[in-house]
Amino acid sequence: MDKTDKYLIIVAVVICIIISCLSPFIASGDPDGLEKSAEDANVPEEIETAVVESPFPDYTFEPLGSIGEVGVLILGALLTLICGYGVAQIVKRRS
Amino acid sequence: MHIPDGFIPFWQCAIYYVILIIALYFASKWARENLDEKRIPLLAVLAAGIFAIMSMNMPIPFGTSGHMVGGALVAILFCAPEAAVLVFTVVLIIQALVFGDGGITALGANVLNMAIIGGSVGLYTFKGLKGIIGIYGAAGVGAWLATVVAALACAIEMAIAGTFPLTIGVASMVLYHFFIGIIEAVLTVVVLLALNSFRPDLLPWNKTEGGQ
Repeated sequence: MDKTDKYLIIVAVVICIIISCLSPFIASGDPDGLEKSAEDANVPEEIETAVVESPFPDYTFEPLGSIGEVGVLILGALLTLICGYGVAQIVKRRS
Repeated sequence: MHIPDGFIPFWQCAIYYVILIIALYFASKWARENLDEKRIPLLAVLAAGIFAIMSMNMPIPFGTSGHMVGGALVAILFCAPEAAVLVFTVVLIIQALVFGDGGITALGANVLNMAIIGGSVGLYTFKGLKGIIGIYGAAGVGAWLATVVAALACAIEMAIAGTFPLTIGVASMVLYHFFIGIIEAVLTVVVLLALNSFRPDLLPWNKTEGGQ
């Protein structure tokens, strides 16, 4: 990986950290388009049933409140970066 | 537009998983032929950025909110909806398993909407319009249309699942995503402009030295 690619990754990580620090405080808590459509159609909330129990449901880590949310988002972005990089390495062009 | 577990009956989830497996076959075939080592960091960075931006719900009218998805952006940057399939499969698995956002049973349907449909509509709209309204205008329209068509597809899937009636589902989903699509369009153009300033070599339309 050359220098410009390292720079790209560093800049992206910084942007992800900034978004992660802001989101828990400024993101809208209103239902999203699909949730609101479900309300419009009178879909009972109970039909939404998680099949797997996630460690950080809805991007929260209860014991730490808002700081926990920031931490969980940063963790998620880094995990996604690593997994994305790994998957791309596995499937990349072979010469 | 992350569909949670419980919105689609299991047997229909299985059909969407079959579509996902076929899409992943084509995506890995595309990667084996086209994904250069030098563009891997871009793919990884897009995955991380999409994960982060999806947490940033912005208010739209009607007491609703929405966030950027990014399927059109990835497809346009790689000239391939297959790239969006790879990115979204990674992002959506992590979101479903670790953060309970979007169901793991609905993974196939979510990849279909955001990556296959969103990526294809975004890329082909972009390709069709770029000669007429310019690269950035075409990317913005492509991103907007990708959001609206993906929402429409989601409403149809919800109707097939028996979760929403078709008319209410289509009307609501299209109405809200009309506005969410504007967020998508603006942010897609912002990312492309930023890349054009800092890493023009990563944009397909700036290729000067050709591959390798």
